[in-house]
Amino acid sequence: MTLDLFLLQTFTGLALGSILVLMAIGMSLIFGMLTVPNFAHGAFYMVGAFAGVVALRLTDSFIAAIIAAPLAVGALGMLVERTLVRPLYGRGVDYPIVLTFGLSYVMVEVIRILFGKEGIPFETPEFLQGAVSLGFGYFPLYRVFLIGVCVVVVGALYLCLERTKFGLVVRAGAADPEIVRVLGVDIRKVWMLIFGLGAGLAALAGLLAAPMRGVTAEMGIPVLVEAFVVTVVGGMGSLVGASVAGLLVGVVMSLTSLFSPKFAELSMFALMALTLIVRPRGLFGRPGHLG
Amino acid sequence: MDRQSPASGWFETLARHRVALAVLALAAIIVIAPYEALATNILIYGLFALGCNLLLGYTGLLSFGQAAFFGLGAYGCGLSIVHGGLSVLPAIAIGVLSAIGGAILIGAMVIRSRGIYFSMVTLALGQCVSALLYEADGWTGGENGLRGINAAHVNLGFFNVNLLNPTQKFFFVLFFVALALAIVARLLSSPFGVTLEAIRENEKRVVACGYDAQATKWVVFAISGALCGLAGSLYAVHLSIVPIDIVNYHSSGLVVMMSLLGGMGTFFGPFIGAAIMLLLEDVVSHFTSHWQLIVGLLFIALVLFFPRGVWGTLLSYVRSRA
Amino acid sequence: MSDVPIMEVRDVYVQFGGFTALSDVSIAFRQGELTSIIGPNGAGKSTFFNVLSGSVKPTAGSVFLKGEDISKRPQHEITRLGIAKSFQITSVFPQLTVLDNVRIAMQGMSRRFDMWTPRAAMKSQIDEAIAILDRVGLAARRDRTAGAMAHGEQRSLEMAMALAAHPKVLLLDEPTAGMSPEETGAMMDLIVRLSSERTVILVEHKMKLVMGVSDRIIVLHHGEVLADGTPDNIRANTEVRRVYLGEEMSGA
Repeated sequence: MTLDLFLLQTFTGLALGSILVLMAIGMSLIFGMLTVPNFAHGAFYMVGAFAGVVALRLTDSFIAAIIAAPLAVGALGMLVERTLVRPLYGRGVDYPIVLTFGLSYVMVEVIRILFGKEGIPFETPEFLQGAVSLGFGYFPLYRVFLIGVCVVVVGALYLCLERTKFGLVVRAGAADPEIVRVLGVDIRKVWMLIFGLGAGLAALAGLLAAPMRGVTAEMGIPVLVEAFVVTVVGGMGSLVGASVAGLLVGVVMSLTSLFSPKFAELSMFALMALTLIVRPRGLFGRPGHLG
Repeated sequence: MDRQSPASGWFETLARHRVALAVLALAAIIVIAPYEALATNILIYGLFALGCNLLLGYTGLLSFGQAAFFGLGAYGCGLSIVHGGLSVLPAIAIGVLSAIGGAILIGAMVIRSRGIYFSMVTLALGQCVSALLYEADGWTGGENGLRGINAAHVNLGFFNVNLLNPTQKFFFVLFFVALALAIVARLLSSPFGVTLEAIRENEKRVVACGYDAQATKWVVFAISGALCGLAGSLYAVHLSIVPIDIVNYHSSGLVVMMSLLGGMGTFFGPFIGAAIMLLLEDVVSHFTSHWQLIVGLLFIALVLFFPRGVWGTLLSYVRSRA
Repeated sequence: MSDVPIMEVRDVYVQFGGFTALSDVSIAFRQGELTSIIGPNGAGKSTFFNVLSGSVKPTAGSVFLKGEDISKRPQHEITRLGIAKSFQITSVFPQLTVLDNVRIAMQGMSRRFDMWTPRAAMKSQIDEAIAILDRVGLAARRDRTAGAMAHGEQRSLEMAMALAAHPKVLLLDEPTAGMSPEETGAMMDLIVRLSSERTVILVEHKMKLVMGVSDRIIVLHHGEVLADGTPDNIRANTEVRRVYLGEEMSGA
């Protein structure tokens, strides 16, 4: 095992981790703001990939797809929040969980009805094919692109949350919805937007992952579990935690698969178990969410 | 409304004999169901849902990972028979013990999480158990499941239960279900039982009253695991194989659904929920392969419009009239 | 009468993030007394209450019960050691009956993991629970669902639940909050009767209520002890008057 191989595998882990980061951030935003863990998050990821397929068929442009698909799924997310999730506020924490769980079933089955049970092949777009030299080895260009997109999106989100009025409302609302209402902002609109944003991020992750992991109706299920693990490790409601943990889990899984592919998936569970035992609130979580 | 005294009223009288009534009702299933295997399945999944409901309906803990204990019970029992050469009764015991062991371990990790976090972590840890069982394919058969569970007879000395006879198998399973119902009924009427409900109602308050809520939750998690494990063991005996997908999150979700459909926090609700789900699935799959769509829509409809479930709604209607 | 104070806090600081809720608070509570903690809003009364009851751990300093350091003990253990509290915002078990609410509070002291005894048969526990409900005037309501009762009755239930633990120290956080004048009077009478049997520490916002009943009054302001003495001392204290400026001494 050479250093070059180690570094290459670490980079692969970062690429995988970028997908996880996008998922986990979306989940953390929804949870932090609405106190709803979105059990349909994997389904939005999956729908994003299929939306991308459709967009690609219509426009023949990958770039157009990665803009259009998340927007479309984001709109779907807003619709879901408005019609299904909102009636449940105040009814106890379990109801939105069960609702979004059921919703994921519906989404998966509808996709199966529309697109069939076989997966859809998804080629890496031509302009992103090939490899790039990183000094210690060659690395698929697509994965560099993926990491790049993740960095840009996370950066943009950060700026939005820290610098804009909208971001201020989001952060304040996550801490205390009452304050925001007093300030005259319609918190419900914010909830809807946040849910849509989270769904859109999941969709983007799904589309970006498509060339690597394929497009099937079931692709959302393992990803949901991964997103949960990342959220536990990073800390619920923390965007920094989601980012760091996402990359960490991605790298740990990649490196583990070097030694033993069988244990790659189990390694993330080991990481989660470790977190639960040693630091239950997660790396960056706030103690309150432990209860 | 105030009741005159706890013992008055036909409703209260019935409630005191709920175990016997439940067992009688369940025995009738073999007559109602279209075929015996489905009837036995209803018993098994009802028991599985009973375990889930103890956590969810009574203690207020929503676990999406109970299938892990069902699976540990099934594989524990199955492996004892296939690799250990044990007979049925000891194998069932091993299955239950495996599930309890798993529940104690997972419970330790999970119990400090409250509410929302709890559901996520149990789902993830359930998948972890699923992955472990899948990867240990030398033992468990991996993707193909565990096959060749030869559970044809139970020799009790004075008589022999022939498990190849579907009716005898049904009553064999019913015996265990009746046992579980009796234990759960006793538990729920005990001080520990009302503590569970108190935790569901107001955990902070319970702690202020002097209860170690974490320890209590850990214990009930283990008990729930035991019930789910017993159901799993019986499942292995029932099918003679253990398919790998009984351990995944669909299975966990299904049993949450059954608890919800039947009525959370009701004694007999889980069996009603199991019966409805399994009968519905049997009917629907004749027409379409998109059963999951119905399940999903049912989940949504239940949560939005019918959160008390079938049995729960019925009970509260009867109570308001009694 | 031993001279070890029944409860004591020493050099207690409580900080939440950058905000100091309590600073340098040291008080020794004498057994059998009715002590009232008063102060304007934001004075730190609730935080102090939570430190006494164990739900907030001090950032620095210690809490003692009969000389034993309980600063690090978990909440449920502190209750079992003999400190019972009522909550400021009514906190009962809404879907359970009034009787069950009290029985659960009683059980917390001894029968927590009993999975076998049928509760319907626990006659002595039921009788005792009814007796406790009688003290707060709720015996006739025992089969009602707790959440369905009027606010004032729920406050009384809270009190019953605190009593059920047979506490040596009874901590009450604004027990008359939201009550009508009649209910308030009844509650204060009850508190006085209870204080003859045990130590009572009362956190109150309304000075008038506590003046006539307390053995000792402690005034908190900005997280510090401003004054500590008998009701007469406090009444004569100009600092206290100044702090309560805008609220009449008699009507606060």
